[in-house]
Amino acid sequence: MLLAFTLFGCAPSYPKAEFKESIIKLCKDEYNIDVKVETVGKTIAIYLPLSNLIDFTFAITKEASEKIGNVILSVSRVALSTDAKYDFYCIIAHDVRIPDIQIVIIKSIDDVKRFFLGDISRNEYTKRMLIDIRMTPQAQKEKSIREVLDKMVVDKKAQEQFLSEFFRNEPAGLNEIGYWNGKFYIKDVTLPEFLADQVASRIRIAFKEDKKLAESFLVKSSKGSYSSQPPRSIFRFEIFATATKVVVGTKGESNIDDILEESLKVASAVIHGYRFKDYEYIDIINQANGGFMRVSQADAEKFYSKKIKFSELKKKVY
Amino acid sequence: MEAIVQLVVILFVVLFVLLPLGWWLVALKNRKAMMYLRMYWIRIVIIDVTLLVVFLAIWGMMSLESFYRSITLAQMPLQLIMVALNAIIFVVMYTTFLQGGLSKLSKSKIKGEEVNIHWDDVIGMEEAKREAWEVVQLIKDRTKVKQIGGKVLRGLLMLGPPGCGKTYLAKAIATEAGVPFISMSGAEFVETFVGVGASRVRKLFKKARELAYGHGGCIIFIDELDSIARKRVFSVFGGTEETNSTQNQLLAEMDGVQTADQNVIIIGATNASEDSLDSALLRPGRFDRKFYIDRPNLEEREKIFQYYFSKVKIDKSSVDIKRIARKSVYKTPAEIENIVKEAALIAARDKKDMVDYKNVSEAIERIQMGLKHRRHMTPREREMTAYHESGHLIVLYLLHPTDDVFKASIIGRKESLGVVHRQPKEELYTDSKEALLADIKVSLAGYVAEKLKYGTTSTGVAMDFKGAMMTAHSMVWRFGMNDAGFIGDYTAIPKEEISENIKEALNVETQKIFKICLKDVEDLLMKEREILDRFVKELLEKEELDYDEIDAIFNEYGKRQLSALK
Repeated sequence: MLLAFTLFGCAPSYPKAEFKESIIKLCKDEYNIDVKVETVGKTIAIYLPLSNLIDFTFAITKEASEKIGNVILSVSRVALSTDAKYDFYCIIAHDVRIPDIQIVIIKSIDDVKRFFLGDISRNEYTKRMLIDIRMTPQAQKEKSIREVLDKMVVDKKAQEQFLSEFFRNEPAGLNEIGYWNGKFYIKDVTLPEFLADQVASRIRIAFKEDKKLAESFLVKSSKGSYSSQPPRSIFRFEIFATATKVVVGTKGESNIDDILEESLKVASAVIHGYRFKDYEYIDIINQANGGFMRVSQADAEKFYSKKIKFSELKKKVY
Repeated sequence: MEAIVQLVVILFVVLFVLLPLGWWLVALKNRKAMMYLRMYWIRIVIIDVTLLVVFLAIWGMMSLESFYRSITLAQMPLQLIMVALNAIIFVVMYTTFLQGGLSKLSKSKIKGEEVNIHWDDVIGMEEAKREAWEVVQLIKDRTKVKQIGGKVLRGLLMLGPPGCGKTYLAKAIATEAGVPFISMSGAEFVETFVGVGASRVRKLFKKARELAYGHGGCIIFIDELDSIARKRVFSVFGGTEETNSTQNQLLAEMDGVQTADQNVIIIGATNASEDSLDSALLRPGRFDRKFYIDRPNLEEREKIFQYYFSKVKIDKSSVDIKRIARKSVYKTPAEIENIVKEAALIAARDKKDMVDYKNVSEAIERIQMGLKHRRHMTPREREMTAYHESGHLIVLYLLHPTDDVFKASIIGRKESLGVVHRQPKEELYTDSKEALLADIKVSLAGYVAEKLKYGTTSTGVAMDFKGAMMTAHSMVWRFGMNDAGFIGDYTAIPKEEISENIKEALNVETQKIFKICLKDVEDLLMKEREILDRFVKELLEKEELDYDEIDAIFNEYGKRQLSALK
């Protein structure tokens, strides 16, 4: 019996050769949704055209939300039951009425697997997902360039050639991923850049969700990046946060340090959660007041496991 | 994947449709197949359902995506352990609290040909074999017997001392008849809980009837039948309820065998006497035939020795089977087998390549007299023991009409300090007056020898006196062997119904026998004092004297053994 089960358990349900078709077929057969699929490196990109993605308040409609959910589920199913090796998938949803606006959802397949196996909670799973509603970068870029070229009275054919040669390239960062004019603009997502974006996103969430932090601070923006230029590999988080009220700490110091501390808590927890080790320092900068701190990987781990206090870290010079 | 699905469907159809259908069709024409269907239908259903569940599980697994399949497979070992654990807990709880396990029947069913004990292997019970052969023919020719209008055989009871080959003969009957053989001990039916034994009897007979249906007959062998077949006692306290209900069920089933008209033969074996068994079981129609399987006679013992000696290496120049057979009067086949085994062990211990006569003799002695147990005795006590045993020895040799001296020893065994071992030259089923008087004289000889030498006696005579007194008492009270003319068994009537005068007269006669015997022994030992002293000397020197040595010493003095003269 075990032998039979093992025999049947070995074959993948969605073989590598039919991977893209499997996603398209599953979405069509089970949810009647038409999608386009492209892959680059270890990343899958799915384009989902929707008739009414957003309403007049710029909120995602219920119908669109359900369709996106169904596509996420379909992609997850195929990605988990295939012998093809992919690390990330990225869903680009467009409102066909206004293709200038897009929703990009990036997920780690490992996160999906861990969620299905009960290794991480639903809340954590949701937080690990990158969701971004933004203007399609390629559309913005193209519009601006076309305006310039029009002013320069360049004919359409030459404009197309110029755009193809200089602006229709693979995106440099995750924020440039998109789908425009029937073409995917995708890049192979790497774990450090995914983590950098996730930390930045979760810092914003943390300052919104925590009632005390939300009352005390206003985070206007947060941005994460990962630089692996030899000899150093560094996570860099730039926050623009200001205090809405000033509370004096026990040592008489300004509570502005709390912004750095909270940001470091988020960063160390996220990086630890992925067991990522390929970095030396974490830099956190508050652009609003010029606050800065640098923490080494070892100290970040200690801080996560509460073996070192923030005040001690502040005094450290690397 | 589709090929696998097709394969599964084909397997499904074959296993669950074609195979059962085919079996059913075969069973309609073939009695054995039908028997198996009847006997094992529950198992077949369980296996079928299990296979069905497995197929459905595989089917279900195949419909899952590989990720979920992997998860299910990964969880399976743990689930299997949990299921096994639950099953064990359930079985333990069930048998502990609901006693469902108590009525389980651990019967050993063996096909006749697999018993593999052939008729020629049964030796040393020619009489019983002749009768048993008739039984085999009756089992085989049951239809013929019925056609003639004869009554078919239902039960067979084997009585006799332990170790005489009752089980062996039953197995040989099964082999020759070529029918299945179910063997159980009567003790296996006995339980504290009322009804459990009866339930086992029911199950046993049900199984036997099923086997008889398929194989044309079945033998149930119940060893130690007396465990469930003793006379029923109807106690108001209900203490015998379980035994009674088991026996009642056995009676009912044996009648049931008749009504169902299936060739089931019940062979019972017991060491208990026929009188102690319930009369309902012994009536015709239940145990119709009774065999008495007795100890083998001289000729049979020879054959048995030959059979067991053929399995070990023996020194043919020294081992005289006839002589050994004569030395082992009243020995059962099991004891003879034990003697040969023991002799082989002794030979191995003595680093010999073959078993010789001395080894066999030592083995008989060891089995009969027990292991030697040397005690530290004072010289006087040792000498006194030598006189005591020499007294027995001389009287036994010169006065006993039937018994041989086998060995004399002043080495302690069990509780005794010394022993003169004797045994009849041949099987005797009655004792003459002369033999009984000689027994008394032999018993008193130890006492007389001690008194003759030391003018006093020891407590070593206690057992001798007890035996002698019982013999003398029986001679007078039971066997009419007295000079006063008292004929009859006075122990058959209550003592209070015998007058005091008669009792006194009987006791006087008992004492008279004692005194006459005592006088004869005193006269003999005084007359043969020289021989007595010689044997004492020999015993003190050698500690043990074998028959040959004893005979040689008597021959030196021109004496011949009384039993040899007859």
